[in-house]
Amino acid sequence: MSFVDYTKEIQVVEGKQPLRTIDDIISKPLETKPDKKFYIAISVTLTMLMFGVIGLGLTFWYGIGMWGNNNPVGWAYDIVNFVFWVGIGHAGTLISAILYLFRQKWRTGIARFAEGMTIFAVMTAGLFPLIHVGRPWLDGYLFPYPNQHSLWVNFTSPLLWDVFAVSTYLTVSLIFWYVGLIPDFASLRERTANKFKKITYSIFSLGWRFSNRHWQHYEMVYLILAGFATPLVLSVHTIVSFDFAVSILPGWHTTIFPPYFVAGAVFSGFAMVQNVLIFVRRIFNYEHIITLNTLEKMNKIMLVTGSMVGYAYAMEFFIAWYSGVQAEQFTFFNRALGPYAWAYWIMVTCNVVSPQLFWFKKIRRSIPIMFVVAVFVNVGMWFERFVIVVTSLSRDYLPSSWAYYTPTLVDAMILIGSFGFFFTWILLFTKALPVVSIAEVKAVVDGAQPSHKDH
Amino acid sequence: MSSLYQIEYERKELPKKYFQIGLLFLCLGIIGIAAGYFFDSHRTAFNNIILLTFFISISVASLFLVAIEYVAGAVWSTPFRRISEFYSGFVLFLPVLLIPLLFNLGNVFHWMHPEVVEADKILKGKAPYLNVDFFMIRVSAFILLWFVFYFFIYKNSKKQDVTHDQYLTTKNIRLSAVFIPIFAITISFTSFDWLMSLEPHWFSTIFGVYYFSGSILAALAIVTFTAVWLNENGYLVNGLKKDHYYSLGALMFAFTNFWAYIAFSQFLLIWYANLPEETFWFLDRWEGNWIFITIGLMFIRFIIPYFGLLSQPSKMDPKRLKVISLWILIAHFYDLYWLAMPNLNKKEFLFSWIEISFILVTIGLLIVGFFKLSGKNNLVAIGDPKLKRGIDFRL
Repeated sequence: MSFVDYTKEIQVVEGKQPLRTIDDIISKPLETKPDKKFYIAISVTLTMLMFGVIGLGLTFWYGIGMWGNNNPVGWAYDIVNFVFWVGIGHAGTLISAILYLFRQKWRTGIARFAEGMTIFAVMTAGLFPLIHVGRPWLDGYLFPYPNQHSLWVNFTSPLLWDVFAVSTYLTVSLIFWYVGLIPDFASLRERTANKFKKITYSIFSLGWRFSNRHWQHYEMVYLILAGFATPLVLSVHTIVSFDFAVSILPGWHTTIFPPYFVAGAVFSGFAMVQNVLIFVRRIFNYEHIITLNTLEKMNKIMLVTGSMVGYAYAMEFFIAWYSGVQAEQFTFFNRALGPYAWAYWIMVTCNVVSPQLFWFKKIRRSIPIMFVVAVFVNVGMWFERFVIVVTSLSRDYLPSSWAYYTPTLVDAMILIGSFGFFFTWILLFTKALPVVSIAEVKAVVDGAQPSHKDH
Repeated sequence: MSSLYQIEYERKELPKKYFQIGLLFLCLGIIGIAAGYFFDSHRTAFNNIILLTFFISISVASLFLVAIEYVAGAVWSTPFRRISEFYSGFVLFLPVLLIPLLFNLGNVFHWMHPEVVEADKILKGKAPYLNVDFFMIRVSAFILLWFVFYFFIYKNSKKQDVTHDQYLTTKNIRLSAVFIPIFAITISFTSFDWLMSLEPHWFSTIFGVYYFSGSILAALAIVTFTAVWLNENGYLVNGLKKDHYYSLGALMFAFTNFWAYIAFSQFLLIWYANLPEETFWFLDRWEGNWIFITIGLMFIRFIIPYFGLLSQPSKMDPKRLKVISLWILIAHFYDLYWLAMPNLNKKEFLFSWIEISFILVTIGLLIVGFFKLSGKNNLVAIGDPKLKRGIDFRL
């Protein structure tokens, strides 16, 4: 065991370097032409996206009958994908808002990227309810507005609360992201020689001149937005959990759902952020900004949230037995040993067992292993939603209506398409905007902070 | 390897007069409780559960705060970590609070009567969990586990005062990491055993989290009150400023919201689904004059502390913090009363000299216990390598 000196703070950014090099290294991807690797990557994601487009085309042309949904499994891939992608989005706000309120400086290297992922993930998630209504040209009715048909939404339905929660979340995340970008736009404006870029950056930097007054306002706005975003991010997945938990279906109706869903969302979001950042830091040479220490901290958060999810699984099981309600007991018995047992055990292995590896420091700091574990977590979290949605529906109260659900090719194509959609945005983002906050990283490099020590 | 700096700190004697007041409260309360067991053992035993679960909250959640500090590597709380360590020592008193209950368990848990269980299909199904033997095993195993972790973490921390050995911090980090999952499990099942099983037909998966949220608030409140008071009177090290206060206030604010979130989630889901096997628990708390206690809970536990701590200056104001932290402690007691007592008296709540005796014991034990546990020990972990960073902490 190596000796740890607790008297000294671990530097967020490794090495002492002039601030100018930080500008240079972060804006480099924006100032160079995309290379071959980029084109290969984006052609892969666009191909995936095309699968989704074809799947959607078939769905819209022939109808939802192209999906595997049946009676009783009326909700399947679409809602699973929706919850999965909303969950992915949660890490961004957790890193940018909650860790900001907790004054965790290590967030600076990863916050911008995670926020970007939040926006893309929520955009991806938003597609699914729109598709799932079956007649996408009627989606406008999701919003309550006075219309000549006197059609109103059902205000007591959590599905409507979702519409509000997710759209508010997207709006606030976008504002939060943009506010953080303003000083960076100004930095880029100063650097670029390209006239078109200069005009664009000038518009988006809102006349930022790095004056003291600007910073003062900026800090205040950022703090207030973080304060708003924090309850908001918790509320989003809480309301997603309400979609299930307010019903009386065994396996859906359980009081631990809200915190359990939030923990699961943060869990999967961190796994996705970690997965993508491992590539980003390597390709763009950000190893000293997104350090191994930062990745280790992310892994610790995955260990905590993964264990919280494990706690919830166990608690659900225990209380199902303890409740003495026969239908509850059957549902959980059926999950673990019924026709979908394979999905259940994939979920438990990926979500509860695999993150336990992060108890070991060596594994927390080994990039290949942490990458694999995080992939497992993503798979497991997708399966968690699948298990919740499908097992409960496929065997509900009435045994005569039980049915096994099998996804179709179109379902799979839409799922692949959603990954294509998400990663296409990510790739465009890496070439269009600084993926690490220039201003924030400068504030945490060694020597940037005023010292309180010997004054 | 020892750390390279020395912190100026002088252990000052705590004022004796508070100890005497505490002792007086404690003695009066104990007389009241003894009389309570004599006249109305049923109701006194219910009150005893509130007392026990209150001190489980204080002690075990304080140890959790200590563990979190170690695991997260936090520095701002290091200057007053010792205070939480003292409060975790209340785990030593838990057996004493438990003993009078052991003679009256049948009075509070009706699943402990074999003839009741025999006649009730649901309780019969729960018998593998809800039976006296297993209950006693759980209760004693949990207390033992808490004690073991308290003992070692505290021992290492105290040893560091003298040796300044950094390796002791590493040791405590490991102990804390193991303690945290154990804490999660034990605190949940404690809440099921002592509070949820008072109404053995009722169940809620979030109940453990509910008790956890309240317990953390209680532990935060007691450390805030003590830290602010000791610091104001110069018992701690120099240099603790509003930045430290702010962090304590912000955490209390956050957990106040967390409590409300959990409580509301539990309520909304049960209300919305409207299943009779779940709703009756809330109806017991809504019928008769219990409705006032229930509505009061929302104000006392959430709305008042929420607005009390909402603004930035209020989180730094020592006066405000002292008031609100005491308020939160009272609110936790109130919450436990709300959880336990409707199982005794439906339709109407009772509050008389028995309840007052228990409140006296709570206050008395908090004061006397703190004096006894702090004893001649340092009030600050002066050997902690993170202490200097902790004192220098600025927002």
